[in-house]
Amino acid sequence: MDYKLVSDYSDDLKKWKVTVSGEIDLFSSGDLKKALLALIEKHKADIVIDCSSLDYIDSTALGALVTVLKNVKEYDGEVFIENLKPALARLFKITKLDQAFTLTTKGGESN
Amino acid sequence: MTSTTPHNQDSIVLSLPINPAYVSAARLTASSIANRIGFGIDEIEDVKMAVSEACTFVIRNAPNAEGGLFKIVFTVKNETIEIMIECQQSFPKITPEEELGQALMIIKNFTDELIISYGETFSAKLIKTHKRLEL
Repeated sequence: MDYKLVSDYSDDLKKWKVTVSGEIDLFSSGDLKKALLALIEKHKADIVIDCSSLDYIDSTALGALVTVLKNVKEYDGEVFIENLKPALARLFKITKLDQAFTLTTKGGESN
Repeated sequence: MTSTTPHNQDSIVLSLPINPAYVSAARLTASSIANRIGFGIDEIEDVKMAVSEACTFVIRNAPNAEGGLFKIVFTVKNETIEIMIECQQSFPKITPEEELGQALMIIKNFTDELIISYGETFSAKLIKTHKRLEL
């Protein structure tokens, strides 16, 4: 199953709202990185990534997210990862990336 | 009579090109086998994650990807699944500090045992046993 990315920029909130769904692995992680970097080229803003329909992510996709995070940090922005499924939240914890990204659930609580 | 349940020591062999396009096929096969032998949802996810990372490790580390193949052998032993991933190429050793070391760390965390063997043939053996819930 491929992945899908939908993005929308909120002028009011000055944030990118991104929804990713499907599976992101070595085959598609490069595309994810390119797509997210293209967004911050347009607007240097925080990125909120809704992962409620994301079924799988691998280490290469995590690497892509870290690259994006580094770029966002250059202008003091944040990357918020929302609504990770339990197995994927575990992956962030194992790799300690839960400390680098802001992980939240739908209500805005931290994972 | 044909049995409809998995037999002890049943083996399923998958041969894949060293190409990222087919990692999803390995994930799908791993999930299906883990489900068939009675693993819980979390355990199926664990097996899927581990197998996928192991395939990624092979694809990113193989010196000659062009036209190459690697093999995955899933062996069912009672409530344990053994997954042997082999590529007949000599891989450079990866330390935990390297980027690819993260893939190994993920595999270790999602399996009960991981045995890596470098040499003329690279192999990674992943073992995961179904944990029964205590009532």
